[in-house]
Amino acid sequence: MGDPVTAPPPHVLLVDDEPAILDGLVPFFERSGLRVSTAPDGEAALDAHARTPSDILVCDVLMPRLDGRALVRRLRAGGDWTPVVLLTQVGESYERSAALEEGADDYLNKPFDPQELLARVRAVLRRAVPGQPALAASDVLVCGDLRVDRSARRVTLGGAAVALTPKASLLLDYLMTHPGELHTRERLLAALWGFESMVTTRAVDHRVAEIRRVLRDDVAAPRFVETVPAQGYRFCGDVRRGSRT
Amino acid sequence: MVAAVAVLAVAVVAALVVALAAPSTALRFTVRPAPMLLVAGVVLAAVVLVAGAAAARRRSRADAEVRHAQAAGCRAERDARRRFLARLDHELKNPVTAIRAAVAAGADGGDDAGRARATLVSQSTRLAALVTDLRKLAELETQEIEDEDVDMAEVVRDAVEDVTAQAVAAGGPRPDVVVTLPTVPWPLPHVRGDVDLLYLAVYNLLGNAVKFSPPGTRIEVRGTDEDGTVVVEVADSGPGIPPDEVDVVFDELARGRDARGLPGSGLGLALVRVIAARHGGRATLRSRPAQGTSVRLHLPTRRPPR
Repeated sequence: MGDPVTAPPPHVLLVDDEPAILDGLVPFFERSGLRVSTAPDGEAALDAHARTPSDILVCDVLMPRLDGRALVRRLRAGGDWTPVVLLTQVGESYERSAALEEGADDYLNKPFDPQELLARVRAVLRRAVPGQPALAASDVLVCGDLRVDRSARRVTLGGAAVALTPKASLLLDYLMTHPGELHTRERLLAALWGFESMVTTRAVDHRVAEIRRVLRDDVAAPRFVETVPAQGYRFCGDVRRGSRT
Repeated sequence: MVAAVAVLAVAVVAALVVALAAPSTALRFTVRPAPMLLVAGVVLAAVVLVAGAAAARRRSRADAEVRHAQAAGCRAERDARRRFLARLDHELKNPVTAIRAAVAAGADGGDDAGRARATLVSQSTRLAALVTDLRKLAELETQEIEDEDVDMAEVVRDAVEDVTAQAVAAGGPRPDVVVTLPTVPWPLPHVRGDVDLLYLAVYNLLGNAVKFSPPGTRIEVRGTDEDGTVVVEVADSGPGIPPDEVDVVFDELARGRDARGLPGSGLGLALVRVIAARHGGRATLRSRPAQGTSVRLHLPTRRPPR
């Protein structure tokens, strides 16, 4: 528990091979109260992180030498749970396990709004417990009698298996690994569907309705997904890591 | 012997002439079996030769047709690519020019800096949306799509509700949308696919109809099914599309001459085309200038899962 006045500002390592992007983001992040270092590729980022550990890494995906996904795998394989925000879309391959296998803590699509990136970085830092794997790196998530076995792609409620469509599963997975956080419909649509401007957010509402129906969640007194009026959705249950039994 | 051969030759020629002139005429020759065999052999050889030549001609014609079709395909592809690049150039040069102008105007600070900054924000947002939408379109061509049971009637009702609500929320008049969905002898069959994408397709068609229709004019949405295909048709009485533009409206970044004054990405119909294709269907468009436009989404039905 650090004194909020004297606590050092969080240290962000920005990893991107495009100097123009770093040129803009570094002063923006510094003005927003973060300490920033940069690296042009994954290998350089691993070196920099080994020399001066950062509190969070923001990584592009396509980079020379070592790309963003490989960088996260290398960190996690070495037992390093420093949070990572990957600059891509969640589950791009449409595979539910992709997000888990990557072990990134959050995602943002390029081109992004820097304010949105700052909001993601702050949310991930708030949630992170230093030295501990994040929920995003767990095989099993548990909330009351809801159990999500992420690698087996199996959801059970009170011990009974329930069936969700792939999109609803991906949404539930994302909400559960980011509990207590408010997600706007637009943000969920961009992160999970990859749509920005061509569509309304009804798709998100549809899938939330499916999750509620399948999990028998009461809109008026939700145990899992809460609607934040005029803003978006939030996973309101208490999520903890489970173990495979 | 010479006489026999001469007779035979005459007979063969006569038979061929008669056969060619009137193939259905039955020929009766009263000749002995040996010359008969000879005649048959010669006729057979002639037939084989003629047929062989015809087959060769057909083959070379077929080859030529394939080559022609391939050449036409390549040409069409090259034309489509050229049109796309020209449109991309058009879509990019305006925001980029605006950004450079804003940088020049805002360089000295002062009064213009605020306006220059607003331009930078709006034009970079416009470019970001373009890039995102183009990428999404490219992804849609190849990415795996969901395979659920989809009730197109519900998709149509949702899209009409949303487009209407949005038009009203934007301060416009309530669009006059008439929806006709069958209930007898059976409702619209379900299709298999990705409900979000199918919704997006219908939503785009409706959005176009509302955008291009004069206020107060009717928009009709019809659902029908025939021979295993569900057809959703969105028809408007807008200005229509000039005949020379009808063939390219489904292209990426296509913007009609008459549509340039209206906001839009030029990717809506391309998206509809790709979504239809990914569901094993197609999108078709009919339009008459000054009368209106009808776009149909054809989707094959498959038996819903048990």
